[in-house]
Amino acid sequence: MSKKETSFKDFCKQEGQLVEIDPSRFPPLPPPYDKLELEPKFRKLSEENQKKLECDLDGISAFKFPRPQTDEEKRELVEKFLNGLRKLYDREDNWTFLQPLFLSMEYCAKCQTCAAACPIYRESGNMDIYRPTFRSDILRRLYKKYIKPGGKFFARISGNDIEASWTMIARLMELAYRCTICRRCAQTCPIGVDNGLLTRELRKIFSQEMGIAVEPLHAKGSVNQLKVGSSTGMSRTPYLDNVEFLEDEVEERTGMKFRWPMDKAGADVLLIHNAGEYLAWPENPEAFAIILEAAGINYTLSSELCAYDGVNYGVWYDDVQFAKVALQHATVAKKLGVKKIVIGECGHAHKALTVIADRVFAGDFNIPRESSMTLLRDIVVNGRIKLDASRNDDITTTLHDPCNLVRLMGVVKPQRDVLRAVSNHFREMEPHGVYNYCCGGGSGFAITQDLNFPDFRHNISSRAKLRQILDVFQDIIGPEHKKYVCAPCSNCKGAIRDMLAAYGVFERCNILYGGLVELVVNAMVDIEKPFLEWEWH
Amino acid sequence: MSGLQLACYLAVVFFVVVVAAKMIRIARMPIHIRWDLYPIPHEKGRNSYGGSYFEEIDWWTKPTQVSKISELKEMAKEIVFIQSVFHHNKPLWVFSFPFHFGMYCLVGFTVMVILGAILSAAGVEIAAGSTGALAVAVHYLTVILGAAGFILGALGGIGLLFSRMSGDLRKASVRSDYANLVFLLAVFVSAIVTWSTVDPDFALLRGLVQSLITIQPAGPIPTALAVQVWLMVALLFYFPFTHMSHMFGKYFTYHKIRWEDHPNIRGGKIEKQVEEALGYKITWGAPHIKSGGSWAEACTDWTEDDKNE
Repeated sequence: MSKKETSFKDFCKQEGQLVEIDPSRFPPLPPPYDKLELEPKFRKLSEENQKKLECDLDGISAFKFPRPQTDEEKRELVEKFLNGLRKLYDREDNWTFLQPLFLSMEYCAKCQTCAAACPIYRESGNMDIYRPTFRSDILRRLYKKYIKPGGKFFARISGNDIEASWTMIARLMELAYRCTICRRCAQTCPIGVDNGLLTRELRKIFSQEMGIAVEPLHAKGSVNQLKVGSSTGMSRTPYLDNVEFLEDEVEERTGMKFRWPMDKAGADVLLIHNAGEYLAWPENPEAFAIILEAAGINYTLSSELCAYDGVNYGVWYDDVQFAKVALQHATVAKKLGVKKIVIGECGHAHKALTVIADRVFAGDFNIPRESSMTLLRDIVVNGRIKLDASRNDDITTTLHDPCNLVRLMGVVKPQRDVLRAVSNHFREMEPHGVYNYCCGGGSGFAITQDLNFPDFRHNISSRAKLRQILDVFQDIIGPEHKKYVCAPCSNCKGAIRDMLAAYGVFERCNILYGGLVELVVNAMVDIEKPFLEWEWH
Repeated sequence: MSGLQLACYLAVVFFVVVVAAKMIRIARMPIHIRWDLYPIPHEKGRNSYGGSYFEEIDWWTKPTQVSKISELKEMAKEIVFIQSVFHHNKPLWVFSFPFHFGMYCLVGFTVMVILGAILSAAGVEIAAGSTGALAVAVHYLTVILGAAGFILGALGGIGLLFSRMSGDLRKASVRSDYANLVFLLAVFVSAIVTWSTVDPDFALLRGLVQSLITIQPAGPIPTALAVQVWLMVALLFYFPFTHMSHMFGKYFTYHKIRWEDHPNIRGGKIEKQVEEALGYKITWGAPHIKSGGSWAEACTDWTEDDKNE
């Protein structure tokens, strides 16, 4: 990263890569990562990819968007973008967010109070382009000039002038994926302006109007989920086979032999996990099954399209995709006749189905939804399973707060009540709760594994979280102490897993990560063998 | 009627109409998706740590616990002390607080000037030596609030202007951001000049306001006061079009977005609004969206074509 400031003019006009990320300017990490050589390297895109793909922002490509070849193509893309921007201000096309968008675009005083709250801006060494207001200001200038009546005249007078070129739009496209939409910035804004929201609105222009979206979120994500049932690509039959396999594994590990309730009409609860759990962390759905079975909860899983995968990636980039998936979740719940939907350990699925979908559901689709955190607390606090916290005494635990669960939904205490009931050595990170730092994998970052995007995540977007984890365990940082980062969210777990692996934290510091229910089952007195396997996965 | 008087009438009417029109426009926008941001101060018993009713098992079966007092306390802290800037941007707060507090003083000052003008029109003398307690109170409050407001506003404004010339603020600022501050400073400084030279108890300004209220010709006024009033007139015409009017938008950003956590209950008002919104026409152009029909169609019709089990 050059020390030269990046101006809006450069952003719009400068040819080639706009900024270079320079790891030597990152704020240092706590020991043992206070040496630059221990940090993961930033990979440059291959020369072929640099020529082929749009990466002129910072040398990173989240979109893998091929460079348009002709001026005509570029003009067409710019025109489509401006059309999309126009539709954001249409009361029918964008009823979903028109009022919040209008307010955030209209009233920002540019006081920069948000900048200090943004982990990406800070951890990048205060790179101008990552300032929360940078992308918002560009969007605002484009709106004022091209959409507002008399915009071209006033843009010149006010000093807001900007030229919509493909160079600039392509950079803006990538810049929309340098913010995790954790909304820490909005939390600190005295006016209530929400730059996270504006990032999402920007993503909507690309997806909803231009048909351009990050592949893991759209083509391999929500489109896949709506076609085969899950963003993992797992269709119904493999899902059912997986569950059968996990039933056997539970018997092997715990001696408990029982069938997992599947498609049971009239159950009290429809439990929906993030399907990634079945594949990457099967111990999580296993632990849920053990707890609910032991507590005698009348619940069911579903093998219907989308209903065995609680993810809803639309929440990050596309209102229509969001509504399609949410309505499918509700359709299945309605068909089963359950009393409520409970969402497993997945932060964005929580917010999607409980908070956001609350303005999408009507009539019979409006089935009550709640967090598994509250159900677990109810089970634990009311003694519906027998627990002995000392079974976890060899582990020091800390809790990562998924943004979607805390800051964006207000579910803060239940998971702490559960964790305190099963861990005698629990300590809080600072800051925590609604003031937490994002894991760095929010808004789709955790599942964007292509090219050099993960390097951005490990080095910048997850860096604040790594700092917190190292800080909270600093007095016992050596490998002789077992330390556990409890992250009750699949995406957060994915980001934390990748970040710990990139820095070699498990090997060097013996810090493992995982969900909440695994610790609960590990503390269950009726289960003889330890459930938690202390090995890297 | 003088040109200045006419301009005053027009400016006030223009300001009120434009601000009201903008507020009505915002208020009439369709229901939006929930976009809560915690902590929400009216969450009774949970606001201290940012919790919500979602923490309750079967929350929809339990009465909503709302604390309006907590919300009012939070609003007071935010409005009067600008606590979010205090907590997150102290260097700016040092100037932002006196600047905004000065503004609040000036709102009070305006009320006092109008009240004084009404009393004066009714034959009550507004002065330190008046016999009535109300007249004396109006006199002193006018002087204190006016002097404090203009001085604090000017000092804060100068500080904000210099802050904007360095660091992150400079990078984010454009001509109009400086122009806005300079404009406000010009009003404050001209008012200070008028007050300190020709109108120490704001009696001349009150006289002008009295002439506006009673629709009488105004007497001759000193140049300093004329400059001050012309600047205020210009500000009233300009203000509603800038982000300086954020105090009006702030009601919506807090109460209708950040703190808006009303659940959508079956058969309730929100559900009706959602049903109406789902009937809106959708015209987004991406291939995965079936445009031309309603939102409800676009979000449900996919099942027939796209399913590929």
